[in-house]
Amino acid sequence: MDDLQYRRSIYADPTCQEKYVVAAQQADPAKKEFAQELQQLDARLKQAMKVPVPDGLCEKLILRQTLASHQQKKRKSRVHLALAASIVIIAGLVVSYLQFSSSYTNLGDYALAHVYHEQEDFSNHDKAQVSLASLNQKMTTFNGNFNQSLGQLISAHYCRFDGMKSLHLVFKGITDTVTVFVVPKNEQLSFSENFSDSKLQGESIGFKNANIIVVADKNESLSKWQRAISDNIIWSV
Amino acid sequence: MPSQVSNNMATKQVRYEALVKALHADLYRYAYWLTHDKQVSEDLVQETFLRAWRALDSLKDEKAAKSWLITILRRENARRFERKRFDMSEYEEANVIDGKSTSTEQELENHWLREKIAQLPPEYSEPLVLQILGGYSGEDIASMLKLNKNTVMTRLFRARNQLKEALNEEPVTRGQYNG
Repeated sequence: MDDLQYRRSIYADPTCQEKYVVAAQQADPAKKEFAQELQQLDARLKQAMKVPVPDGLCEKLILRQTLASHQQKKRKSRVHLALAASIVIIAGLVVSYLQFSSSYTNLGDYALAHVYHEQEDFSNHDKAQVSLASLNQKMTTFNGNFNQSLGQLISAHYCRFDGMKSLHLVFKGITDTVTVFVVPKNEQLSFSENFSDSKLQGESIGFKNANIIVVADKNESLSKWQRAISDNIIWSV
Repeated sequence: MPSQVSNNMATKQVRYEALVKALHADLYRYAYWLTHDKQVSEDLVQETFLRAWRALDSLKDEKAAKSWLITILRRENARRFERKRFDMSEYEEANVIDGKSTSTEQELENHWLREKIAQLPPEYSEPLVLQILGGYSGEDIASMLKLNKNTVMTRLFRARNQLKEALNEEPVTRGQYNG
């Protein structure tokens, strides 16, 4: 190999171990010396290239990563929190929608459903417990008042009548209980004067402030009940 | 399952810290010879290790870690130029050695050599730094810089050739530089 080629190889890599380079070095001590000279230069260059590393760089790198992944975790947990909150809000909306939206379109259907729902809770043999005074106290919510008792009142309690605060009265009837609802006027449910199914019948009267709905079995005369209510009730407004 | 996840996290953390400890100095120096700026080098190394953390799972072979990190750092450096055209800062020796008063013979020589290395065109100095400081072979450098091996060897030859010439030109002033 010629000298120039050898020099190129050594300049490119002073520690070159290619066969032809090693052979040339063995044949010519001057070539070996030349390679050693450049290896020495490399050692000096390496020394020079080792610029001082800033103090604490290692710790800084570890700290920065720790902070960055901590923030990432915080971001993730914030996302989770936001997701959870959204789900709770949606669940709340769904529940209140189901609870307060009407699945019935008229008073009659709802009244029947309501009576069936609470059928178990009352029996015609229950003792009448509610006095006229406490009934009238409850009626103040609707600005109404009964002059005299309509019959034996088993129960009087506020209830949700399709989401509206209403008064639910249960009277002793001929064969079974008679249910009277006092319901605020509402546009959601259409007024139905007469309604019935195979067991129960009902009638509604619209007053100025409220509707009064009577539901009873077929043995009762609803018109008698209606008349008694109309004759007895006094609206204060 | 959560314990496994946190266990993985802990393993990752250990791996990461080991990488930082073993390689931050090499990487910083490599960045320094790429940018000639202490602050930029530090930022580059920080950015490189953050990216390395995120991609740590993709590093399968620990032996390849250094060249993997160097590849990330080179990409980060290129991105720096995309973001903003920095002035190619002139090599400032003041960046490297602060207290000239305490300079020893060795430091003066380093100082002089650093200036000569920095004066090389970047395409010559980069493979030289990889070869001398990183200990990489011509093939390794070629694949890291995406060049063919002959090109790398030619650049290495020219780099040393220029340095040798510079050394021969100023044999006497060496050590009294800036004196």
